[in-house]
Amino acid sequence: MVRRAAPLNGPSRLGPADPRTVAGRFTSPLHDERIAAWLGIALGISFTSAFATGLVSHFMQHPQGWMAWPSRPVNLYRVTQGVHVIGGLATVPLLLAKLWTVYPRLWQWPPIRSAAHAARRAAVFALVAGSVFQLVTGVLNIAYWYAFPFFFTTAHYWTAYIVFGALLIHIADEWDRTRRTVMTRPRDAVGRRRFLLTAAGASGLIAATTVGQTFTPLARLAVLAPRRPGVGPQRLPVNKSAAYAGVVAAARDPGWRLTVTGRVRREVALSMDDLRALPQRSARLPIACVEGWSAEADWRGVRLRDVLALAGAPADARVRVESLETWGIYRTSDVAPDHWRDPLTLLALEVNGEPLALDHGYPCRLIAPNRPGVMQTKWLYRVVVT
Amino acid sequence: MSLAGAALIGWGVYGIVANVGVGGWAPWFAGAAVLHDGVLVPLVLVAGVLTGFVPAAYRGAVRAALVIAGCVTVVALPMVLGEGRRADEPSRLPLPYDRNFAIVLAFVAAVAVTSVAVRGVARRRRRTR
Repeated sequence: MVRRAAPLNGPSRLGPADPRTVAGRFTSPLHDERIAAWLGIALGISFTSAFATGLVSHFMQHPQGWMAWPSRPVNLYRVTQGVHVIGGLATVPLLLAKLWTVYPRLWQWPPIRSAAHAARRAAVFALVAGSVFQLVTGVLNIAYWYAFPFFFTTAHYWTAYIVFGALLIHIADEWDRTRRTVMTRPRDAVGRRRFLLTAAGASGLIAATTVGQTFTPLARLAVLAPRRPGVGPQRLPVNKSAAYAGVVAAARDPGWRLTVTGRVRREVALSMDDLRALPQRSARLPIACVEGWSAEADWRGVRLRDVLALAGAPADARVRVESLETWGIYRTSDVAPDHWRDPLTLLALEVNGEPLALDHGYPCRLIAPNRPGVMQTKWLYRVVVT
Repeated sequence: MSLAGAALIGWGVYGIVANVGVGGWAPWFAGAAVLHDGVLVPLVLVAGVLTGFVPAAYRGAVRAALVIAGCVTVVALPMVLGEGRRADEPSRLPLPYDRNFAIVLAFVAAVAVTSVAVRGVARRRRRTR
């Protein structure tokens, strides 16, 4: 029985380090199969979680015809996207530790032994390149540093399939070896536990200093988070300002009306006074941003379903709300029946006890439960029923 | 499972070609692996050699502290550099990240020093017993 996990710096996986090869010059006993296996298991879990939560976020924003997202639980998207972003950040040390551990395998000799070996190495390249790509673009994106020449969400989304596909191939290749090495207790004095605890400590420190941007009780600890709940106009962060969106004049126009149009029995155009004359409702709902921060606020305004009833919209209506913005892919958003029927879905006129600040969507914005922040459309001027 | 993996890779590549554009994406994708394997890991290896000169009693703590500090740096650097700051949106990157980053690094160093000290005291006590 093998009592020692195999080093990864030998000429073969089971042999001793051979100083005549490049791989053999890596003398640390931590280049070790057992460490690679434990880190691999952790990474398998975290990448699967990131892939799943990423798909949730993508398909909430771009639902296929057969998909219906529920409007409850209120905080579902807040949790999945928090797990995606904070979990992704915490994955950085695990990935770096894993890649360092297996680094001697990059220099294995001969580099290619057969066609099958070449294919396996190509899949490993896709896995390594894709994993680093996802973490680098993700970290840059939440810091709003658009250094790359592509649109982040599309590139991050499509690369995820490459990474997860390469991960499946890697798991199929390494499953037996991982099982064996994890189940075999080594009888050597290699300081694996200390190394793994160091990587875990780095993950923990990163999570601890960022998670408060979405988990409000730890907000004061979030010293390295790009957002702080409670910081912003009316104690709420802003992603896109009215000035940037180019809506300042249109939003302040006293002739502003909210029109409800499309497949309705009667078109209505409501002024601010008309909206204020309708029953006012309150809801405590979060803005849960795709970038992984979230902040709750007290919203007040008119229920979307009340306004739709006023116009005589059919019960199966699909609704699109449109912003005064004249450009940008988030200018409009669709509100599926589950969401517009929800009594918590408001056309908000106030936040935290004051009329909406211009940057929060004055005169009127959508706020709905379990919905990405980019779809809480601001500066509304039209509701289209289809 | 390998077949499913290959199919997913194919789907992803199709999506990149159709929706992202290979020209802008490929250098970042391949570059991520090349810079990691060709620059970042060699730097770590050099750090490993240099810390080999640290007395054995402190070496583990020094290396652990450097690993943790390095990982925090990867995540914090974009915020410290503040390229994403915008004058019209002060709630974006609202914190003094250079100061906060320094505090976190100081915390890591303090934990490392404490662990060395605690272990030193424990060893001395064992010897005197």
